[in-house]
Amino acid sequence: VTEAFRKRYLDAWFLAGMTLVAVLVFRLVEPSWLNSHTLQSIITQNGPLALVAMAMTFSIVSRHIDLSPGSMLALTGVVIGLVYRDTGSLGLGVLAGLALCVTSGLVNGVLVSQLGLNAIMVTLATYIWARGLALGFTNGDPIVVNTRLTSITNHTVGGFTIVAPVVVAAYALGWYVLSRTLFGRYTYAMGGDPVAARRAGIRVGLYTTLIFVSMGVATWLASTIVLGQLASAQPYAAPSLELDAIIAVIIGGTRLAGGEGSVGRTLLGVAFISILNSGLLNLGLTDAYYQVYKGAALLAVLSVQLLLRRLVAEDVRRRQESEQLLAEAAGYA
Amino acid sequence: MAVDAPRLPSVAVQAPLDRVRAAAETFGTLAVAGLLLLSFGLTSSVFLEATNLRNILVQITVVGVAAIGETLVLLVGGLDLSVGANVLLGSVVAGDLVQRQGAPLWAGILGGIAASTGIGVLNGVLSAVIGIEPILATLGTFLLAGGLAKIVLHSSWIVVDKPFFADLVRTHVFWQLPLMVIVMFALYALAAVAMRVTPFGRAVYAIGGNPRAARLAGLPAVRVRILAFGLGGAFAGVAGLLQIGQLGIVSSGNATGLEFQAITAALIGGLSVSAGGVGRVERTLLGAWIVGMITNYQTIRGIPPNYQQALLGGILLLAIVADRLFRGRSS
Repeated sequence: VTEAFRKRYLDAWFLAGMTLVAVLVFRLVEPSWLNSHTLQSIITQNGPLALVAMAMTFSIVSRHIDLSPGSMLALTGVVIGLVYRDTGSLGLGVLAGLALCVTSGLVNGVLVSQLGLNAIMVTLATYIWARGLALGFTNGDPIVVNTRLTSITNHTVGGFTIVAPVVVAAYALGWYVLSRTLFGRYTYAMGGDPVAARRAGIRVGLYTTLIFVSMGVATWLASTIVLGQLASAQPYAAPSLELDAIIAVIIGGTRLAGGEGSVGRTLLGVAFISILNSGLLNLGLTDAYYQVYKGAALLAVLSVQLLLRRLVAEDVRRRQESEQLLAEAAGYA
Repeated sequence: MAVDAPRLPSVAVQAPLDRVRAAAETFGTLAVAGLLLLSFGLTSSVFLEATNLRNILVQITVVGVAAIGETLVLLVGGLDLSVGANVLLGSVVAGDLVQRQGAPLWAGILGGIAASTGIGVLNGVLSAVIGIEPILATLGTFLLAGGLAKIVLHSSWIVVDKPFFADLVRTHVFWQLPLMVIVMFALYALAAVAMRVTPFGRAVYAIGGNPRAARLAGLPAVRVRILAFGLGGAFAGVAGLLQIGQLGIVSSGNATGLEFQAITAALIGGLSVSAGGVGRVERTLLGAWIVGMITNYQTIRGIPPNYQQALLGGILLLAIVADRLFRGRSS
């Protein structure tokens, strides 16, 4: 049993190893990168990614990739900013942002679950229109929102901002829901075999919609944090947040095919991506080299993980075959 | 990741009903294009002028050619997010070779197409041999190709003054259509015929429609996938060359977001990212034309580009919903 357990987490151990290697390499190349504030700043900068990736775990486990969060984060920020500018009430703005995110998630969820549309296609449309509206409403210019929210989000305790407890709470909640509740069980069941899940009486439409709405809530939370951190609403914010989140989930070992994965694995993936981003940016690389190194690192890690998983699967298959043969032989004897 | 049951390939299986349905779908897309043409023409005095229609064709050429490659990849059951970066890479390599390295024109053209094809083949190998999901593999190569292009550019830009590229726009063949538009039509004709008559074309439909059955039937699935992704890269390279002709300058922002325009054109043309093996190459041209008309009309009406993008997203959503309602639910 322990051996099987170890093998099941082989790819996760590999990623953990690669994360350590990344830390060591960045430390060697640029010793000043690793100091007593590195962890704090990584968490502060990558909090929004962590939140979206947590919700993305539910999306991918249930077989639905959601491409909307990056553009929606920008649009939500813009809507909060506009409402604040016109009414002077930040609370009203934040509520409007929440309403927008929940509505968008609801629409996407209903289109996917009731019309049977492909989630990539539906959320690709959101990806396009939401960014267009964010840019259109503002002409591409940021809106200054310097309020109490900024002092709250940028207040530090021992170097940690409020982002740290929010992320910890989100992952604790996500872990609990996915692994300890009926909703979590249903998420795996729908991703593993949607037809079987429906036949088993699971209300696939309801739970699928719920997953899209929870992505909306995560996006809203991330958007509010970004708005506070920057003291402004940026229409160009989070240009490829959804892609980083998908990579974090997949590289953590959750399968794109659905039905498998965990919140813990996503956290590991987020850690790897965050350290990669932080280390590469700290090297003062131009955008060009940053992209090349990041792309190469991702493809390399994904390739090795697939090979590892194939080896494990082969091993399991052989063992099952030999057990079957033994059982058959016992039957004849 | 689709909930859909595998659909039968509509071309490989030449059942009469499938043919009728395919014809009806083409007719449906054509009808939408005609309706838009009519309503835009009635509400704008300049829209139907020959110069404007020609302009639309010129405007859709780069996306249109890149979308041929995207269509092949979608048909074989993949998805290519690296198209935009790959168009940029093709144009950067070609521009760098002919302007900065002093290489002859043919070397620049071949170099540009070869670089993009290389990325395409890498996409194929990563997804078909190693088994990385296409959306992730091409996301990685999107970063790679875009980064490489910017490295070659040296955070600068290249002004291309070779007459060959300018001639793509200046030379008019007939009906005063520029050469690059003719190139686009020729490539679509070539691809449409090739997908119908060559073994490769039939294999693409078979593998995209039902990968398991195709493998059991002995089709070389891995090779066909690599070839489809490689051709996708090659078309991106050609699109990059055409873009040099159109803009006369290569800079890092040139093809940003082009992959989503190409995917949108293919989806409006009736392709699906959930199931391969369904759709026709020539309908993607129709999709690109529809997007081009809408963008052009909005510009005439004075709608700012950002809102045009928002409306394009809305139209894409409508197209997806209409497509599903038109074809009926498959599950």
